[in-house]
Amino acid sequence: MSENARNRLLLALSIVMAAIYLFPLYWMYVTALKSGSEMFATPPSFWPSSAQWSTFAYVWESRNMGRYLWNSTVIAFGAVALIAMLGTGCAYVLARYRNIWVDIGLFLILMFQVLPASLMITPIFVGFSQLGLLEYPRLAVILAITAKSMPFFVVLVRATFMAVPMELEEAALVDGNSRIGAFLNIVLPLARNGILVSAILIFMQAFGEFVYSKSMIQDIQLQPASVGLNSFMGPNTSEWNNIMAYATMYVTPILAIFVLLQRRIVSGLTSGALK
Amino acid sequence: MKRVFSSITDGRGFDLVLVGVPFTFLLALSGLPLLYNILMSFQEVDMFSLGSVIRPFVGFRNYLDLFTQPETVSILKNTIVFVVGSITGQFLVGFALALFFWINFPGASWLRGLFLVSWVMPGLVVGAIWNWILSGDFGVLNFLLQQTGLMSSNIFWRSDPNFSLWAVILANIWLGTSFNMILLATGLSAIPADLYEAAEMDGANAWQRFWTITLPMMRSTIGAIIALGLIFTLQQFDLFAAITDGGPNNSSNVAQYWAWDLSFRQYDFGKGATISVIMTVFVMFAATVYVRSTRHEVRG
Repeated sequence: MSENARNRLLLALSIVMAAIYLFPLYWMYVTALKSGSEMFATPPSFWPSSAQWSTFAYVWESRNMGRYLWNSTVIAFGAVALIAMLGTGCAYVLARYRNIWVDIGLFLILMFQVLPASLMITPIFVGFSQLGLLEYPRLAVILAITAKSMPFFVVLVRATFMAVPMELEEAALVDGNSRIGAFLNIVLPLARNGILVSAILIFMQAFGEFVYSKSMIQDIQLQPASVGLNSFMGPNTSEWNNIMAYATMYVTPILAIFVLLQRRIVSGLTSGALK
Repeated sequence: MKRVFSSITDGRGFDLVLVGVPFTFLLALSGLPLLYNILMSFQEVDMFSLGSVIRPFVGFRNYLDLFTQPETVSILKNTIVFVVGSITGQFLVGFALALFFWINFPGASWLRGLFLVSWVMPGLVVGAIWNWILSGDFGVLNFLLQQTGLMSSNIFWRSDPNFSLWAVILANIWLGTSFNMILLATGLSAIPADLYEAAEMDGANAWQRFWTITLPMMRSTIGAIIALGLIFTLQQFDLFAAITDGGPNNSSNVAQYWAWDLSFRQYDFGKGATISVIMTVFVMFAATVYVRSTRHEVRG
């Protein structure tokens, strides 16, 4: 078999595998476009006979999705801003030195990273309610997400700072920059892309966060889209086309960002996760 | 005052501030809750005593109560099945895919990256989609299984106690496979190619090369990935909320979901804290294994 034919065969095979793997995603889009009766047809149709685009407008209006997505955005932006402010400097220092204290710091970071949210929510909820923080539920969720996700951000961004040559910073210091000046003018711009990709990853996670929001935000006006989806799916629901339309509007922006930045996200993820 | 300020902008103080502030934050919002959790596991905490720190001290009663409750054993068993089933599935499928995409052909790395879509999606959306796919009467999985002749009647994945846990495991395998694959692919690409060339010259076939080179060279990567898998499966919550809600009759309940359920549905925060303490010990153990298996690799 020639090289060319082999490549084509492998490509076809891998496309088939990707198609099988991504079938759930396809099924979400197809179901969202089906009518109420077509959705329950046997055998199920794998292509909508007449696409019901009006479902999207109907679900957007009736479920008040604008409000839900706005709350998700507020929470995700708040968490990312706080994480980037606190985590970037921390990652920089942990990347710059090699000693026992850095090792201890990294170990602590990892320990904080692995704590499951569903286990931490009990003490956080009780503690926050005693401090009165639950009066500001979205802020409470932002703080909780920050504590949960900052360690991951630090690990990812630290890998980026490791790739910035130390000599550049030293040269800036010799030229009369202060530490803070060298950090802001030399190191930070060089690490900008890595920080941005990590921030986007954290944003996508925070955008879909569920445990903390479900437990701490009682007021429906302030709930994010994940909680909204959860309350949409009652135990005996039959509105699957509407639910899938909701899910479509919720994830499509995330998927679009992912497909655009796929290469960077994958390489950022692999550089941080195993080191 | 001036000396302190100049140290912060241009000296040791700069590093200390950069590292000190986030660590203070983390200790306050993760470290303290951890300790508070332990304290609460020895107290009786309900809706009425929520506001006070000094609550009735009950010693080990929460722990003893939990282990005499009838559902405890089955929930712990579910947790083990969930963890082992998920990790095995994710790892095997992920490894097979990683090995396939290891063959170099144009488009391989782009298509491989596409799989990570499952990882960036909100867990609740993944759960909603699988909930619909696994639906008993109209689910597409049942249809496909019957078409291919693998089974003759519909399985009620979500409401049959024999299958409800496996419904969540199936969704979790789908969710975690891509992450396993990407990390395994990174490990594979780090194996020096000349090892394979040498083995090929010595006449080793593909099967022998896999067992004598690939697996031994991947040992620490595989250890790290299994530890990470343990950490991730013990964090899984959204899929339970979206697919089975722990039911029917606790048949798909696992420890991390139960802890939340005790606290936020039954308002028994003391017991919720007790399970959390026990599970946290397991998670920290997994994290230590992870650190040990990555330590031998060249860092940075």
